Amino acid sequence: MVAKVAKKNNKTSPNHNSENDSEEGFVKVSLVNQSVFIRKKKTCPLRDIPLVEIDYKNLKLLNKFISERGKIIPSRITNVSMKKQKALATAIKRARHLSLISPINKDTTQN
Amino acid sequence: MALYETVFIARQDLAAEDIDALSNKLEKIVTEGNGKVVSKEYWGLRNLSYKVKKNSRGHYILLKIDSDYAAVAELKRVIGYNEDIIRSLTFKVEAHVDESPLFVSASAKDYKAGKVSAKKEPTKTDLVLDQVQFEA
Repeated sequence: MVAKVAKKNNKTSPNHNSENDSEEGFVKVSLVNQSVFIRKKKTCPLRDIPLVEIDYKNLKLLNKFISERGKIIPSRITNVSMKKQKALATAIKRARHLSLISPINKDTTQN
Repeated sequence: MALYETVFIARQDLAAEDIDALSNKLEKIVTEGNGKVVSKEYWGLRNLSYKVKKNSRGHYILLKIDSDYAAVAELKRVIGYNEDIIRSLTFKVEAHVDESPLFVSASAKDYKAGKVSAKKEPTKTDLVLDQVQFEA
């Protein structure tokens, strides 16, 4: 048995947009299985950073989004929005071409 | 008219005067093609993250250009056969940013006269970035 329990949206998450009101407003509570699975919704870590700032010159930002091996971390893991991930990828590729960041890191292969 | 950015890496054994002469020469090409160089940035002698044409260090220079493509194409052509330039990149931008995080001085000469030792204050972006963490 599954009952839909109405839950006030503005109390739990004031930052959320009201896009998915019908989905967000309800939390599914299973009466049969008591363990209710509620996952916090991840948001883009770059939401406070304007798109212009995602630049090949901003090495501190780029280094956050490349792995130890020098690969671009997929947005599936970092949860960066699609628009900004696209900008990130371009910026990282430009920085690689200009030898500002390394495209590969061989040191970590020893471990 | 469109906005462009051109970055090029000059060979490490060039003197400061040579670098300024080189960037002035390239600026002249743009101005002769009815464009203009909005500003120039010198990023200093940086370590390259991998060897480029057997160089492990290089002088970075950024030109912010407001010009038609014809002048930029000429600039790219000249950069292509200049042996002092080991790597370059030119592309269109929406807007020019005032001062990049890598900025050291306006020209190579200024860099030698007084070394920039003052640490830059962390920007708003830096503060946000310190919070960013991934589970994986």
